[in-house]
Amino acid sequence: MFEVVDPGALSTVQDGGRPGHLDLGVPVSGACDTWSLAVANLLLDNPPDAPALEITLAGPVLAVRQTGVIAIAGADLGGEVPEEGRRLAPGSSHRVNAGTHLRFDGARSGLRAYLALPGGIAVASVLDSASTCLLGGFGGIDGRALRAGDQLLAVRGPTAGEAGRRWPAGGPDPLDGAPVRLIPSADPAGLAPGALAAIVDASWIVSTESDRVGVRLSGPAITAAPEAADLVSRGVVPGTMQLPPGGPIILLADGPTVGGYPVAGVVARADLPRVAQARPGAELRFVTVSVAEAQAAWRYQAALLREIARRLEVSGPWDTHV
Amino acid sequence: MSRPGPRIVPFGDAALLVELGGGIDIGANRRAHATAAAIRSDAAGPWGRPVPAYDSVLVPYDPLEVDVAAAADRLAGVLAGAGTPVEEEEHEEGSFIEIPVRYGGADGPDLEEVAALHGSTPALVIAIHSGAVYRVFHLGFAPGFSYLASVPAEIVTPRRATPRTRVPAGSVGIAGLQTGVYPVVMPGGWNLIGRTEAVLWDAGRDPPALLRPGAHVRFVPVGG
Repeated sequence: MFEVVDPGALSTVQDGGRPGHLDLGVPVSGACDTWSLAVANLLLDNPPDAPALEITLAGPVLAVRQTGVIAIAGADLGGEVPEEGRRLAPGSSHRVNAGTHLRFDGARSGLRAYLALPGGIAVASVLDSASTCLLGGFGGIDGRALRAGDQLLAVRGPTAGEAGRRWPAGGPDPLDGAPVRLIPSADPAGLAPGALAAIVDASWIVSTESDRVGVRLSGPAITAAPEAADLVSRGVVPGTMQLPPGGPIILLADGPTVGGYPVAGVVARADLPRVAQARPGAELRFVTVSVAEAQAAWRYQAALLREIARRLEVSGPWDTHV
Repeated sequence: MSRPGPRIVPFGDAALLVELGGGIDIGANRRAHATAAAIRSDAAGPWGRPVPAYDSVLVPYDPLEVDVAAAADRLAGVLAGAGTPVEEEEHEEGSFIEIPVRYGGADGPDLEEVAALHGSTPALVIAIHSGAVYRVFHLGFAPGFSYLASVPAEIVTPRRATPRTRVPAGSVGIAGLQTGVYPVVMPGGWNLIGRTEAVLWDAGRDPPALLRPGAHVRFVPVGG
């Protein structure tokens, strides 16, 4: 359906993840922002965790080889069809015409956009998932990020979707400025007294060294307790806030399965999409919540996704012109 | 004397952590693997794939299925019914997994430094590292990365102050009581003393990881 002309900064095929092999050291992988992955897929009546293209910051240029329907969700990376002077707003499905190009010329808001094709992107499943594991070099397209010349094929026929659908407002909003909900660690081994309070009191800046492994934060020094050096590795999950000597890191989808650094807490699942959309230079603040509060937020978000998907209506062509 | 029971604590909103305690200890680790096996056997439970480590098991669960209290209750029941840890078979001479290693030089850029730190020689460090039998405690961090212990006290060396951003696949490192092989190109802070051609991870192989928990490993020096 597409041929890659320019791969962009980092574009990978990702689905709902690969959680079945954590005990072999295989990261969960999958979309960093699973909410937006689901939105892009549901706009095309795909399963919410179908393989899509995760596009980071500065997007690719894709040549449209077959006329078809796509959906875009997540960050606004300036998607457009230059030949037609047509902007492709996120949170909606669009028709694309053979002979034109799909271009993402840079982030306007957010960090990661998701491009869905009808039925999903056709790639082989490795260890039960289509996701690209960059560290292990498997999954997705040959275990790597997109390159010029790669072909992106739809699982269903390219036109098996409805253009002009628009996702209504609702769900995690990376621009709302609300503090990120953090569940404090129940076993703060290695944390100096007052470390959690210092994390919550501070304002944090997302570092340029952030990637799919984790979001690195710049801010005040958080000192570890002396016993931090003696911690042995234990399992961790995406959302875990670790405190290595260089400053806090919030693990994302490609984060390690175990870690030996002190753990300050774990970001509420419902807020992980917002963390994944925070661009380098963005400010993050934290607020502590209980497990029960975080689970209530997650249940609400899951119910919202189902509800919107259920009443998703065809709203007609609405593409705005540049 | 009775041992204190395992502690179950929440780890975020979609996982529990079973803390057995003990650090790098064979008994604790056997209990961790027995616990993980019991969780995998509870097929009707809300569990994801459990992650056993040295002295703990991370247990993902689906919070849309159960809340944290119900998950902890069910997990406590699973733990109570877990069998005693399986004793590994006695490993007879020759039944070890042997990993050939080229020590030193470009393959092991930290060998001389490690030797100097212990007032020793590279040859002695090689003899000590390759003279021991290591047990695979758990896998984690990267696909196929296996945590092996224990490194003999004479060559126990802390992590490097500044981790390398790119460690070549097959590099053999040591860190504290641990040793292991970097299965893929990745960042790493362990001191690198050698390199192997053995393939620790191949996603297309069944099983993809060369080593499994409980296995015993020897490193065999080979010429450059």
